[in-house]
Amino acid sequence: KKMTNDNLNKLLVFCVLFCAQKTSIVHGAQALETKVTLLLHAEPENPKCFAEGMSDLTCFWEEDEERAGFTDQYSFIYTYQNENSSECSITALPAAGGKRLYFCRLSQTQLFVPLDIRVFRDDLLIHNRSLFIELVFLLDPPANLTLTSTGTQGQLKASWLPPSLKYMGDSMMYEVSYTMAGSHIGKVEEVQASSELILRGLQSGTKYKVRIRVKLDGISYSGYWSTWTDPVLMETMPGDLDPLIVSLSLIISLVLTLLSLLVLMSHRRFLLKKIWPIIPTPESKFQGLFKVYGGDFQEWLGHSTGGLWLRPAYFYSEEFPAPLEVLSEVSLGPALPSSALPPKASETLGEEDEDEKLKRVDSALMERWRETPQEHWPMDQLRAIHQHPAPWTQSSLLESHDAYVTLNAQNHSGEEPLDDILEETLPLQVLFASGRTSSESRSDLGSFQQSSGLGRLSSQSSFEYPNHTWPPKGPGYTYMAVADSGVSMDYSPMSSSKIDDIGKGVIYTNEYKNEIPAHRRPIGTPIHFAF
Amino acid sequence: MTSISGPVVVLLTVLQWAGRGLPSPVRPICDPRVLDRFIMEARDTETALRGCKAGCGVTGTFVVPLTNVDFVVWETKDTEQQALEVQSGMSLFGQALGAVRESVSRVAVQILIDNNKSNIHSLGQVLRSLHIQDLPLPPAPAVGDLVTRKVSSLSELLHVHTNFLRGKVRLLLTNAPACQQNST
Repeated sequence: KKMTNDNLNKLLVFCVLFCAQKTSIVHGAQALETKVTLLLHAEPENPKCFAEGMSDLTCFWEEDEERAGFTDQYSFIYTYQNENSSECSITALPAAGGKRLYFCRLSQTQLFVPLDIRVFRDDLLIHNRSLFIELVFLLDPPANLTLTSTGTQGQLKASWLPPSLKYMGDSMMYEVSYTMAGSHIGKVEEVQASSELILRGLQSGTKYKVRIRVKLDGISYSGYWSTWTDPVLMETMPGDLDPLIVSLSLIISLVLTLLSLLVLMSHRRFLLKKIWPIIPTPESKFQGLFKVYGGDFQEWLGHSTGGLWLRPAYFYSEEFPAPLEVLSEVSLGPALPSSALPPKASETLGEEDEDEKLKRVDSALMERWRETPQEHWPMDQLRAIHQHPAPWTQSSLLESHDAYVTLNAQNHSGEEPLDDILEETLPLQVLFASGRTSSESRSDLGSFQQSSGLGRLSSQSSFEYPNHTWPPKGPGYTYMAVADSGVSMDYSPMSSSKIDDIGKGVIYTNEYKNEIPAHRRPIGTPIHFAF
Repeated sequence: MTSISGPVVVLLTVLQWAGRGLPSPVRPICDPRVLDRFIMEARDTETALRGCKAGCGVTGTFVVPLTNVDFVVWETKDTEQQALEVQSGMSLFGQALGAVRESVSRVAVQILIDNNKSNIHSLGQVLRSLHIQDLPLPPAPAVGDLVTRKVSSLSELLHVHTNFLRGKVRLLLTNAPACQQNST
């Protein structure tokens, strides 16, 4: 039983060791593969040898599969200085790309002494090399690479575990590579105989990728760079705003704000117009409509004097009956200084053609009219006519080709009402002007209003008496002579001779408004109306 | 392991101090960069004189120590044995370089050799600072000794010198007990 227990114990120990070794073998195999790959690129000489620790040496060489021979065809002879040669056992392993690797591993080595290696294939020397084993170290990369924050802006502390090799700690040299995550441009820092390094000058708030590799410093021991460790990522501390930058940006923003305010203030009216346009009001066109009459359009119409909107053409068109139009040119009687006319008129009254006579009178009058100053001749002529009522009563005036309208005041006798008086003719009715001889263009005279202060007026048109038998009105009548010089109008009430004779008849004058528009008022034409 | 009684050690130390006339440094020199500088200067000398024609006019044979280090074997030796190896080797190199100095005529070569001799002397001081007492040197090595060998050229002499410094001397200084307290 005891024997069985011992055997079991041995078996158990053997199994444990085997398993452990297997695990280490697997790891070792992976590491070996990477180192072989590395050395195939780094070492030009053959055989390629490297030392992983203080007492070992691994040598290998590569051959094509086609030309490869059996392992027993090769012999690996190594000789230390001042010693006898020894042979190393060779193992072969397949490699990628149709290659074969031949290995030789020494488990006991001597350092600091030249080692001579010779490789034979079928007694033919294929490789020859002399080396110092302490100069061909190829270490495993450092383990446990960690990144921590130092508490300072733009810094990271990298720490690692050095390869556990005796006597080598102070001879190790590390290379730390750090790049910004996502960038291909990186920096490298070297550090000797240390197990940590502070990376400075990093950007704040950025992720960095750090990796490290190790090599012996080359003074006592030397070798090849190890493979890089797996990268470790770490983000640096977020950056504080540089106080200078903050203050500068504040000042600039303040200056810009002030400038924009200035611009806004200087253009505020324009901007207000654009943003908040004023609602247009028609107040400027209708003066006083809103302020005086409070928007009452009817009232405003009644009182408005400007009347820009009251277009004269609108009202003075031919279609609408004008309230009043005045007689056109009046052929005054021979009341002028020239006394030739009246006698002529009286003499030839019966004989001459009245037209010719009138024409003469007209022309003579015209001439005189032109000669005399315009301000005075109408009144003078009128007075002259008044003084010589005979031709007047003979109504040479009335016998002219001009049309006349007489307005008769209503007698108390109660004549029949004149129905033909249109309501519009409280102002005078339109009269016609014909046979104009003046060179001046004279359109119809404008109309004017007349108050109805004298009561009802009757009107008669001279066309009713085609034979120029304008009956004189009796017993007499008053009339107002209007002389329009184009600049001003003179009004003078007059009465016929009979009235004067009668001695009665108070002449009442009433005001009226003459609204003859200037363009229609012929210059220098006296305006007469009789009533 | 030899056990030396306290008073005897004190007596020996006093005698050595009296004999040498040199006080040992108070502070142990454990900085490996000190030895590294010696190694680099020896290497530079070796490189500079490698192309020297006709061995720079140096003839004769020189006895040099063996430089090979088997770590497994080395670790079995105690500090004293290691120190003995180192000190005897340094002594041999001192003698050889002295002979070379007298042979060369070129001033540049002389300067380099003088530098190396000075470094050897400094190295002795470093060893003393580590409380590695100077032990009596063994007698002149005989031919066929297992610890020495012969070289016949200046370049080989210098090469062996560099290897010796890199190997045994460095191992001794790195693992000196006086430095083990300071190292982490």
